[in-house]
Parts: sequence; C-alpha cells; structure tokens
Amino acid sequence: MVPEVGASPSSMAQPRGVKRRAAWVRDSYRRQNALFLAPYLLGTLVLVVVPALMTLAVSFTDYQGIQAPTWVGLDNFRRLTETPLVRFSLYNTLIFVVAAVPLRLLGSLGLALLLDGRRGGGLARAAAFLPTVLPETAYALVWLWILNPVSGPLNLMLGALGLPAPAWMAEAGTARLAIVLMALMQVGEGFVVLLVARQMVPAGVYEAAEVDGANRWQGFWHITLPLIMPWILLLLSRDLIVSVQNTFTPSFVLAYGGPYYSTTFLPLLIFELSFDFMDWGLASAVLVIVYAWILLLIWGARNLIEGLRRREVSDAR
Amino acid sequence: MRGRVATVLVHLARLGIALLSLLPLYWAVIISLRQSGQPPTTTLEWWPQSFHWDTYAEVFRTVPMARYARNSLFVVSLALPLTLLTASLAGFALTQLTTAWRQRLVTASVALLLVPGLAVWTFRFHILNLLGLVDTLWALIVPGLAGGSPLFVLLFYWAYWRVPHELYESARLDGADAWTVWRLVALPLARPTTIAAALLAFVLYWGDFTTPVLYIYSTKMYTLPIGLQLLRQMDETNLPLLMAAAVMMALPIVVFVVLVQVLFLRDRSLANMVDIE
Amino acid sequence: MKRIGKVLLIGLVVSLLLSGCVTAPEKGKQVSFMISGEPAEVAAYQALVDAFQAKYPQIHIDLRSVANSGDYMKQLVTAFSAGAQPDVMLLNHRRLAQFAAQGGLEVLGAYLDKSQGLHAADLYPQALEAYTWDGKTWCIPQNVSSLVVYYNRALFDAAGVAYPAAGWTWENFLAAARALTRDLDGDGKTDQYGVGVSAELMRLAPFIWQNGGELLDDAATPTKLALDTPEALAAFQWFVDLQVKEHVAPDASAEQAQGSEARFENGSLGMFFNSRRTVTTFRTIAALDWDVAPLPQGVTAASILHSDGYCMSAKSKVKDAAWTFIEFANGAEGQTIMAGTGRTVPSLRAVAESAAFLDPNQRPAHSRVFLDVIPSLRHMPNLPKWPSIEETASNEIERAFYGQATVEEAAAMAISQTLTYFEQTK
Repeated sequence: MVPEVGASPSSMAQPRGVKRRAAWVRDSYRRQNALFLAPYLLGTLVLVVVPALMTLAVSFTDYQGIQAPTWVGLDNFRRLTETPLVRFSLYNTLIFVVAAVPLRLLGSLGLALLLDGRRGGGLARAAAFLPTVLPETAYALVWLWILNPVSGPLNLMLGALGLPAPAWMAEAGTARLAIVLMALMQVGEGFVVLLVARQMVPAGVYEAAEVDGANRWQGFWHITLPLIMPWILLLLSRDLIVSVQNTFTPSFVLAYGGPYYSTTFLPLLIFELSFDFMDWGLASAVLVIVYAWILLLIWGARNLIEGLRRREVSDAR
Repeated sequence: MRGRVATVLVHLARLGIALLSLLPLYWAVIISLRQSGQPPTTTLEWWPQSFHWDTYAEVFRTVPMARYARNSLFVVSLALPLTLLTASLAGFALTQLTTAWRQRLVTASVALLLVPGLAVWTFRFHILNLLGLVDTLWALIVPGLAGGSPLFVLLFYWAYWRVPHELYESARLDGADAWTVWRLVALPLARPTTIAAALLAFVLYWGDFTTPVLYIYSTKMYTLPIGLQLLRQMDETNLPLLMAAAVMMALPIVVFVVLVQVLFLRDRSLANMVDIE
Repeated sequence: MKRIGKVLLIGLVVSLLLSGCVTAPEKGKQVSFMISGEPAEVAAYQALVDAFQAKYPQIHIDLRSVANSGDYMKQLVTAFSAGAQPDVMLLNHRRLAQFAAQGGLEVLGAYLDKSQGLHAADLYPQALEAYTWDGKTWCIPQNVSSLVVYYNRALFDAAGVAYPAAGWTWENFLAAARALTRDLDGDGKTDQYGVGVSAELMRLAPFIWQNGGELLDDAATPTKLALDTPEALAAFQWFVDLQVKEHVAPDASAEQAQGSEARFENGSLGMFFNSRRTVTTFRTIAALDWDVAPLPQGVTAASILHSDGYCMSAKSKVKDAAWTFIEFANGAEGQTIMAGTGRTVPSLRAVAESAAFLDPNQRPAHSRVFLDVIPSLRHMPNLPKWPSIEETASNEIERAFYGQATVEEAAAMAISQTLTYFEQTK
C-alpha cells in the first residue's frame, strides 16, 4: 500500500516525471502533515484554547454561574485589591515559591550529580523519580498520615531522635513547611533534566581539567556548573511556574487551605471562589493575574538566558 | 584509597536517597497490612506487625472498587494509545513544517502548557456537554485526541527534531509519504521518548481526580481516584483500609517505573523522561 | 501501521459496545435528580427512586450522586453554568439564596399550595421557614435536623456525673466537661476529653442566640455581622474558653492528631456536638454506649437548624413530573424510606412522630430530643452571599478557639472581612 523507503527506482529514468511526481508527493506530503497536526490542533482548540478564552472573557463580567454574565469592565480587578483572601493567598504563594523553588533546584542538582548514570545507580534513579509520578490524591493521603502529630511516623521518628515534634498541619508555619517538604520529594522531572544536561558535558573537558590538576569540586564549580547553567535557568523558570500551579492537591487534601488560610495558595483560592462562593468573575480575574505573572517570569527567564548566551559568546571571543 | 572511600560514600548516599524516596510508600504498605479498622499505634514500626492481606480484599467489599478499577483501566487503555498516536504524529509534523509555522506552533504549544487546569475545567464542561459526552467515560478519554497535553507533543517534537533531517529528507525524496517517514524513520528513533511519554500519560489518566469529579456523576462510572475519595469520606480514621487503597493505586505506576528502568532504558536511563530542547 | 489501525478499531468497537451497555434507555419523561452522599445514603435514595418508579412507571428518575459534599457543589455549580442542571436537587438551606437570587430555582410555594398529597401544615414550620427567601417558598425541606449533644453514657457513669437532661445549663455542661476530661495514664497529657466541637459559626451561633445575641445587625436589611455586641462576645468567649481556658476540648494539635468524631467513636470523648448526621455511623459501633441530649441552655434555649431541601431548577423542562417526584419523596412513603437510614429527622410531622423515626429498638434511646428542640430552632440567615460570610467568620472562630487570637480580635476581623459580601448583596 505504502511505498517502502528507498523503493522507487522506476521513476529515476525520467527527469520530468520525477519533477511532476516530486511535486505531487510534496503536496500530498504537506496534506498528510496537516492531517497529522489536525487532531492535536483541533482538540487543543476545543478543549483548551476556547475554555481558556471563555475564562478570560469572564474576568470582565459579573458571573455567578446561573444567570448570563454581565459586563463590568475592570471591576473584578478592583475587587481583587479589596478582598483580603486574595492578599492572603498571594502572600502564601510567594512564601511557597521563595522557599520551595531554590530548595527544589538544589535538590534536583544534588540528585543529578549523585545519581549520574555513568556508574550504575539505575534503581536509585527510579526510586527518586517515583514520588513525582505517584497518583496525587493517594500520595497526599499518605502524607496526611505521615504528618499526624501523634501517630504519624515522622513525629515518632523525630521523637525517637530526641527532636521536637511539631504539630504540622495544625500550625501555620509548619503547615507551609510540610507542603514545601512534599514538593521537595517530587523533583523527579528537574533532576532528570539536569542529569541529561550533565551527561551532555563532553568527557574530554574533564580530562583536560584533570591534567591541569583540578579536583572534583573545582571541576564542578568551574566546568560543570557554567556549562549546565542555561539548563538550571530553564529549570528555574519552569519551577517558578509549576510552584504557582501545583500546590492544589496537597493543600486541598491535607488542610483545605488552613489553618487560618496559611496553605490557601492561589489555585485553592480560585477553586474556592468559583465553586464555593460562585464568584467566577473574581476567580477569573485571579487566573488572569496568575497567567500574566507566569508570562512575565518566562519573559524574564528568557532574557536572562539570552543575556548569558551573549556573554558566553563574547567571552569566547 | 581516597577514591575508594569517595565511591563508597557516593553509593551510601545513593542508597540513602533511594530509601528516603521510597519511605512514604513503604510506611503506607506497613499500615495497609494491619487489620482494617485497627487504630494507629504511637510506636514507630519499621516492619509489618501482621500481614492482614484481607484489608486489601476489604477495600473491594467496602466500595465497588473492582468496577472503578475496570473503568480506570478502560479509560487508560483507550486514552493512552490515542495520546501517544496523536502526540507522536503531531510532534513529527511540527518538525516538517516551514520555519515560520514551526516556530509559531511550538511557541503556542509552550504557551498552552502554562494554562492552569483551573482555567479550563469549567468551560470544558460546557463543550463536553454540547458534544453529549458529560457523564460518559469518553469525557475522560477525549483529551487523548488532543495529544493528552501539549507537553507530550513537545516531547515528541524535541525528540524528532534531534534526528538529522537528512534522514527524513532522503526518505521523502525516495517517494515515501509522511506516514511512512514517521513510522519507519522517526518513530523507531524516538523509542525512549515514546516510553517516557507513555509513562507520563499513564500517570495523567490513571491518577486523574478532578476530571471525573466534574464530568462523571453516575456511580457506575466512577474511577479509582473517586473510589479512594469515597473510602475517605466513609471513614477517614480507617488508615489500614485507606492505605491499602492508596497502595493499590500506586502499584501499577511503581511497576511501570521499574520496568522502564530495568527493561527499556539502559545507562542513559531516564534521560529522555523529561527532555527540554 | 495495519496493526495499529486494527488495534484502534477493535478498541473503538469494544468501547462503543461498553458505552452502549451503560446508557439508560429513554422512556417516558426523564427527571434528573442530584444528591450527594456516601454509598449507604445513595442506596437509600436509590430505594426511594425505585419506590417512586413502581408507582409512576411513566416517569424515569435519573439519579446522579456525588460522593463528597464539596465535590457536590463543584459539580452542581458547573452543571448550572452549562445549562445541564438537574431537574431536582437536594440543597442545604444555607445555599438557597445563593441559587435563588440568580433565578436558578423554581418557586415551589405555589406547587405546595395546589398539592393534593403534600400540605404546608403537615411540615414543621421551622423547617419550611428556612426555605423562604424574598417572601417566597423555594424548596421543600427534606429534614429538620438540628445541633444536639451526643454523650457517652459509660464515661458519664465512670465519672459519676448525671446524664444531661432537658433544661441543663452552661454551668452544668461545663462541670460535666471538667469531670470527663482526664489524664488516664498519668503521663501529664490529657487522653480523654470532655467536649468535642468543631470551631465554626454553625456551632457557635446557637450559643450567641441563647445569650440574647444576634448574628446580623439588622434582620430585615443586614449590613454586617453583629458578633461584637456584648451578648455575642460573651457567648463567643464562653465557647472559646472551653479550649483556651478550661482545656476540656482538644487543642489544635490534638484535634489534628485525632478528630473529635473519631475520639467519640473510640470512647475517649465525653460529649460531641453534631447534627443527626452521625447517628448512622454511631449505630454501627456496638461497643459505644451513647445517647443524645439537647444543647445546654443559657439565658434562653435555642438550637440551630440543619436541613436539606428538595429544590427544582427554574429551567427544568419537566416541571410537573419533577414536582410529582418531590411530592412523593417528601410524602409519607418517601419520608419513611429516608428515615430508615437513621440520618434524617423527617420534616413531615406524621413520619417524625412515627416508629420510622422514634423506633424504640434503635439508638439513640432519646431520639425524641430531636423533636423536642424543634420549637426553639433558629436557622442561619438567608442571604445570597451567606456561604462566603459563614466561611470567613468560621475561619476567625477557629483561630480564636485555638488561642491564636482573642475573641475581640476575631470578631472584629470577621466583621470587617465580610463587609464586602454584604455590600455586594445590596
């Protein structure tokens, strides 16, 4: 039915025929290509783009789900500044990002260096990757028990070591810390990216350095780190985004945003505004802010990477 | 001598990381082997005190978990191949476009990757409702038609982009159509990416909690995550039962990850798992 | 390629067959009916639907259930927004105004007036009144549950305290709570508590009313919460002192370690505040010797209504059939079926007074307490933004209850943070 690769000898003889046939193949090739893209583009349009645009539109309306939305201009954005909940959750999200992102980056980097594939360690890599892909609700439920102040294994272990046993989800500070801890266990994607980056550093570079008498630490600091820096920055921008979005399940399952709003992060706020308060105009306005913030971060990270590349180029000269 | 000490230390550290990562799941397994309904103890246990495998059976007696598992399997078994097929084809097609279009579509895909799920949930319901798919398992499967997530399309795109373009070009000049180039040239070269995408897609559909909550309301069409929620709702204090259900939900993924590591990926291993540029 | 195609084709065919199996056949009129509940409750509603179906075979009831009440709102709200709302749904009276104000609900007062089988006079007025908003009756109350004190008789016996009885006071209650709070193993930590109560407005409100306070500054045209009046503050302080000063209730960490409901179930809690809801679970625990008593009273007696009602969506295309179902569900037969779960206090007097509810062979021994308190029942205000107000206030109450703020601070914060919701209602 379909010609196998390299199996069209007959047309070789006639240059003209080849040309016409090539044009036809090229066209049908393009058509096929478009066909390949169609489900993805159409599906994404229908299932992601249109709903997202509807949400965007709703941010300029008063919409509570039942009556048709009515246009209110920028009123929802004005209300954002007046709603204490928005302030709380912005603050919480910021705290989480500031605490979790650097820790997650360091964790990814540490794992990538330690679990480098050159000398085995495959199962350790699989183990470290696992928490990232476990079903979220099941994993959060396991943590709910681990963090139990009295019968949870974490506090039992701390107690056995003679360390203070915090009340975890019952207090604002430790509740946030617990969510950060959970996020720190799930750095699988980041460490894999850095693993790849590390492996792409040519071995010859290290050999040359060893001749110069560099030790491991110097090798890392002067060779590996600069070479994988663009990847770290890429990961940084990705993690900034992920940290804003991925706090939903842990804070929802573990404490429903409590105690006293301390784990009410932006996604949970949007959830509550939409489905509990039925204030979709306001919820959409928060979403728009989140999205704008993310775009800004990406833009910043991109500029940073570009700047770094340019400096590298000029250094090389 | 110093080198040997360092090697031992590295191995110890690796072991430590592996154990630490597995600890939450291991603790869950220990608790799940207690008798259903048994209250938690206040002593630390490192080894199961008993082996009440019946707790696992109890999960199925308490809620119709077998039916939920069947539903979840049905969703995964259709959505997973569909996702891989559409994402792989779209990723390949992206590499064959003109530079301008390719850049446009890749940028758009990256931008879409950033759209939070919350922005989509509600109005996707409107669309599924128009299509008559609400309260059918198809509501959970249709995202597969769109490649599951732009992430999968981008993963495939990046994998195919690394393949020297002369390979595609020469096959094309030999008169092969796009389908053939994809199937015989591109696909075999992106096997690690396909496996990685399969794992991530499996996780996506298997653990999905929000979508079924919003789009399914007939009890007979509930999926596993809803079953877990039901168990929690019925008795939040029955830890052995809850942990048994959680462990059962996690098990296929554990098996998947280990299989991927042991059977398919050799030393460069998870390298292609998440692969940016 | 052929193989992939074949696999996909087979998959498609199989799934089509499967989906064909689970689609209900459409016959006669379809009425969708949405509820939330755990499997036992869903089974009771299924029995209700089956009984209805046997009597009215021409109407098909499509029962939709959501496991969790939080998820229920999520799905209900989404369905409404897409115009895919159920014809009949169960709604808490505190949500009524939220849906009614947007024109989502059908006014059922006129249906009730015309009904042959169901009469307003047969229902407890305290329940029916809670479904009145903007001068109209919107839904039919399914139950008239309320806040009571569940108590562990064995623990009372062991502490030598008399069982609570009607007319007991805040002082009696506190004395009992103190006697029941004990450190059993002498390690300096309390392991049996006197009181378990969730720190939220639904629990605090009746005590404010008992002390002569109000929740709103003006019942007719409310502009803010009135938690800062001397009466309200005194009740708030008394409520908070149970934990902060008297330590007869678990603190935040203890509550996190083990919830009060679980403590009551395993026999380490003397008194537990809840509505009728927990009866179903407590009945299954043979070792637990429990009963119910009315709330202790302050200056006056008061308790708070917990009720869900059958509501009809305004856009239903099968209103008559939907009403026929509501009429049946809230009639003697339907109410009797639902009373069988033990979870509801029937809103229909005849069924509430019957053995279906007051079954002497079923615990609690004093089920009648639920009926005795009905005259003193009050309900949460009906305001379109009430859920937001209540949740914000509850967060402040929780903070004060666990000693992270004084009652004055918490009351002031609750008032200032909810002002915006009152303004939006105007």
